[in-house]
Amino acid sequence: MFTPRYVFADGIVVDKVYHPYVIANEKEFEWRLMSSQTDTINRLAQQFGLGYSIAENVAMEFYIIGERNELGDFTASAFELEARWMLTEQGQYAFDWGAIFELERNTSVNSIEASAGLAVEKEFEKTSLTINWFLIYEQGSQIDSEFETEFRVKYRYRYIPEIQPAIELYSGEDYFGIGPAIMGVHRIEGQRQIKWEAGFITELSNKGKDHTLRLSVEYEF
Amino acid sequence: MIEVGLKQIILALLLLSHELAVAKNAEFYITLEKNTFSPPRLHIPADKKVRIIITNLDNEPEEFDSFDLNREKVLFPGKKSVIYVGPLKPGIYEYFGEFHPNTAKGSIIVKLKESNNAD
Repeated sequence: MFTPRYVFADGIVVDKVYHPYVIANEKEFEWRLMSSQTDTINRLAQQFGLGYSIAENVAMEFYIIGERNELGDFTASAFELEARWMLTEQGQYAFDWGAIFELERNTSVNSIEASAGLAVEKEFEKTSLTINWFLIYEQGSQIDSEFETEFRVKYRYRYIPEIQPAIELYSGEDYFGIGPAIMGVHRIEGQRQIKWEAGFITELSNKGKDHTLRLSVEYEF
Repeated sequence: MIEVGLKQIILALLLLSHELAVAKNAEFYITLEKNTFSPPRLHIPADKKVRIIITNLDNEPEEFDSFDLNREKVLFPGKKSVIYVGPLKPGIYEYFGEFHPNTAKGSIIVKLKESNNAD
């Protein structure tokens, strides 16, 4: 059986920096794309999600994840269930806190990945600093069973709703990358709005080329 | 690597428990009735964190939204909701209700000296 040599379940750290907030009564569709290029490979993953706030401070999201394998075929390779829990009211304390729990089943490498993370955010007037810590456990027949940690940071300037430039940093699994990012939101009507994010992260810990482009679009309604 | 991660998480939990034990902020009040916020202009002091308690007297939800304040919160019908803002620099911070943006709108006026909290 063909086994992808590089899979996103065990190798790419760049993803998304989570904010610790949940909006009640919110539903969303989400699409994410990650394209990572090194001297030897060009990885591509897309993720489609459907999310719903099940309580005033808890949101659930289900994802289907597709990856391109070394034969160039793009197939659904994983499913993920995610829960986000807003632990503190925004602005109540010096830092805003949230928790993230993820359970991912990767069918292409027959593995399971469970994650628990903390999201912390602090406002500095027109800027916001967001930090994520994740503790991840992976187990599967074709990957090493192991604990991993990941660390993500975003420093954002809230210029106007549509244009909010940021710097993002990702660390974990012997990876350390940093790069510019941008996010924005466009309100349509009522709770309907479109949010977008883009980032271009360059890996700094190795000598070779390793760039990751990440895009995401969310339609909230 | 794992030890570093666990230390970070334990430190974060300690910080969280410390934070939960502090803070009592000045309170200000806004009422939402007939899809209109009252008072339309609320004065709060600069450089202080405050609690704004919004009572939704309507029988439908509204969503408080302010890019200036970086706040977004659903106001459930017949209930009080709390929004924490500040410390803020002096200025005018606009907000609106997402479901009725033409009528449900207001501003938070941040002043250096605490005076009347509404006009």
